[in-house]
Amino acid sequence: MSGQHIARALPVVVAGNRAERLTDLFDVHYARLYRLARRLAPSTDDALDLVQETFLRAAQFPKSIPLGAANEEAWLVRVLINIRRDQWRKRSVRDRHDKAILRGSRLASDGRDPEAVLIARTAVWQALDILPPRRRAIVVMYELEGLAIPAIASLLGISAITVRWHLSTGRHKLTDALKAYLGGSR
Amino acid sequence: MKEIRELLQEADPLRYEPTWPSSRQDLHRRAFLAAASGSRAPAEVGSRSRMVFATVALTAIAASFLGSRVWSVFVSDLQAAAVRFEVRLAEDRPASGLREAKVSGSGRAVYLHDEVIVSNSDIAVARVVPGGGPSEYSIGIEFKASGAEKMRAATGNHIGKLVAILLDGQVVMAPVLRTPIDVSARISGNFTRAQAERIVNGIETK
Repeated sequence: MSGQHIARALPVVVAGNRAERLTDLFDVHYARLYRLARRLAPSTDDALDLVQETFLRAAQFPKSIPLGAANEEAWLVRVLINIRRDQWRKRSVRDRHDKAILRGSRLASDGRDPEAVLIARTAVWQALDILPPRRRAIVVMYELEGLAIPAIASLLGISAITVRWHLSTGRHKLTDALKAYLGGSR
Repeated sequence: MKEIRELLQEADPLRYEPTWPSSRQDLHRRAFLAAASGSRAPAEVGSRSRMVFATVALTAIAASFLGSRVWSVFVSDLQAAAVRFEVRLAEDRPASGLREAKVSGSGRAVYLHDEVIVSNSDIAVARVVPGGGPSEYSIGIEFKASGAEKMRAATGNHIGKLVAILLDGQVVMAPVLRTPIDVSARISGNFTRAQAERIVNGIETK
């Protein structure tokens, strides 16, 4: 009996260390992924699901995650954007259809803000839905996270020129969609 | 005149919403570790088992009960004979009508509901599947249609609470339910192959 316990000790230790590394991966990157996911997804719940899905993908292919925090982050961010892109492709048609209803319910659910401000805010945020997820991610990283173009390029594994192109196309589309809120001469 | 950046900053939901609930993060962490612990397929397990494992892992009970705490005490007492298998709903705090039980190997107390949701007769197949590490094995279970229906009905209203798996009356694991369980479940533990086979045979012969 005691021999059995000794024989079992080693795999247990290995499993423990591995679990620890994965726990670290999770704890280090969870908040960052949530913040990105929330800005790509329509709701908190969708964002949480997106993060969950990303980590489950990581659990499925642990060996393909490169070492080092920056590399891990890049891997996870790319996976998250890819998952979001798949969802977006499947849902974009239906979402556009539902948008009017959704807008009504969101407005009704929050009475603390003056209505006009809230309408504007909601409309602005919904305008982001016209951008495909990767382009949206680039706009979010640049405008909201304050990342520089080379940093975005290396995070996504694409060239700075491509980032610049996505950024200018994305802003062009948003400017079109948000004319009313940009005010003045436009 | 406003710039795009300014508009986006004003509309950014992260400015207005509370951060994500930590309870959800804990659930995610557990599901992640459970999925990760099952993701290595040891070389000595055949491809058939691996396929079964893949299907099982998707719907498996999502909780990580890695390591030594679950099994070492209990498994050595198992005989080669029949093994009585039960699944019951459980709670993490006492209440009237609930029976206290200790989870084998950990000493953690859980409080079991009286009703047995499924037992041996509801199992279609039990198989040995790869566990959390080299030379560690878990047990994959697929329920018959009747069993799957009972599991779905019972676990669907119990999300976020505990479900207990008992072998011969002993609680061997009591994970938090993340999604309803239906056709399949996995009993994770660091069995040796021989132990896992003994349990599988015991479950099926009963």
